[in-house]
Amino acid sequence: MSNYFYVAPEQLIKDRAEFAQKGIARGRSIVAAIYDTGVVMVAENPSASLNKISEIYDRIAFAGVGKYNEFDQLRVSGIRHADTKGYAYSREDVEARSLANLYAQYLGQVFTHEMKPLEVEILVAELGNDLRPPQLYHIAYEGTITDEDRFAVLGGETEAIVVALEEEWSATWSLSEALRAAVGALAGSDRTLEAADLEVAVLAEGNGRRAFRRIVDDGLVALLG
Amino acid sequence: MGLPLYNAHDDPGPSFFRYANAAGLTTSHDPDQVASPHATTIIAVRYVGGVVMVGDRQATGSYIASRDVRKIEAADRYTALAISGTAARGIEFIRMAQLSFEHYEKMTDAVLSLEGKANYLSPIIQRNNLTSPLVVLPLLAGWDLNHQVGRIFEYDGAGGCYERVDFATIGSGSPFAENTLRLGFRSDLDLEAALDLGALALYEAGDNDPSTGGPDFVRNLFPMMVTIDAAGFQELSNDDVANRFRVINERRTQSGGIAGGSLR
Repeated sequence: MSNYFYVAPEQLIKDRAEFAQKGIARGRSIVAAIYDTGVVMVAENPSASLNKISEIYDRIAFAGVGKYNEFDQLRVSGIRHADTKGYAYSREDVEARSLANLYAQYLGQVFTHEMKPLEVEILVAELGNDLRPPQLYHIAYEGTITDEDRFAVLGGETEAIVVALEEEWSATWSLSEALRAAVGALAGSDRTLEAADLEVAVLAEGNGRRAFRRIVDDGLVALLG
Repeated sequence: MGLPLYNAHDDPGPSFFRYANAAGLTTSHDPDQVASPHATTIIAVRYVGGVVMVGDRQATGSYIASRDVRKIEAADRYTALAISGTAARGIEFIRMAQLSFEHYEKMTDAVLSLEGKANYLSPIIQRNNLTSPLVVLPLLAGWDLNHQVGRIFEYDGAGGCYERVDFATIGSGSPFAENTLRLGFRSDLDLEAALDLGALALYEAGDNDPSTGGPDFVRNLFPMMVTIDAAGFQELSNDDVANRFRVINERRTQSGGIAGGSLR
């Protein structure tokens, strides 16, 4: 004889969403912004080795906030998916949209079917080319997928960061302008963030086939100005 | 194609080959398959600043199937991988290696060591060669970033991996190339001397082995020559390679085809 109590679906979803949001809000936020020649991703991350931003494929990057082990598992499966697809077909056939959809499907499925939802929010970014603009896909813990065309903010409390970025945003941002605006928005009005507090990476041309590049040490200090 | 997610206890880790096996992506082998064109002479020579590699470009079946095959490829920025044996398998092998090294780097955020790359290839060669008549034998050369030195690794048919401190050759033209290298090699070769010796060794192989393509002055097609040093993998221009072979050819024309005497 089982003891199942009826829980209204609305309540169930609400509880799960609250749980996931609480978990995500415990971590720091990430900003990704499209600038004139690429995409820059900025995370507040004092660890130099546990990365929140990573390379997925030639022109695709990944960023995650929330529980590290959960988004890292998504990162790893994304690399496997992309490498497998590029091996079976061609490198040109690997694009961010289908990967973002897969992530959305998986997060949505876990949210409704598993014991607990994943406490993560992730971003799949793709560098544009002559034919396509850059893409930023923001995927929330319950599988909601949003296609951003200027910038994306991931994390628990993002309103203030979004407002700050809206004020600064320009369609012709250079890398250092976009980076400084992102760092300023992440810091808020009462703090300043140093290079050592940040994890920064870009998707940009100029490094052969692989567009992903981390910006560290002196390079980062120089860009922050 | 879904998201390849694994539990912690059966995760294949950063090895693409193990993952591909787990996911059933690698090909199965049919022993009755018909042999396809073979690839042929590759030379690697160590010099003081790295490694020089030279490879012919002819694919040979019962006739010449192609004259411009690339048998040496960059496996990554600091590693060159060359193949002899069945062309189809060799090309698949290079793709698998290129992907695997990059896969490891992305998964772990660390570059695989040169020795790690060399050892990684062993079981792949072993499985191919012990289960299929379409034998493939690679030659790996690279710049070892951890020890700042150029290194060469050769393999036997069963996948055994052996480091060579001087030079290595693979393919049907090996005996002729190997003999030239044995006479001309010194441990203090500089880049120019290593390039000239490598070109001469390939010239000898092309001259004696029907399955090795030498310089083709008619079609302006020449063997591939690459260097792997602290600056990474670099391929010599076609003009540069053509001049080196033209010099050898003129010397050989003057001597009436005789190679002996001093090394020429």
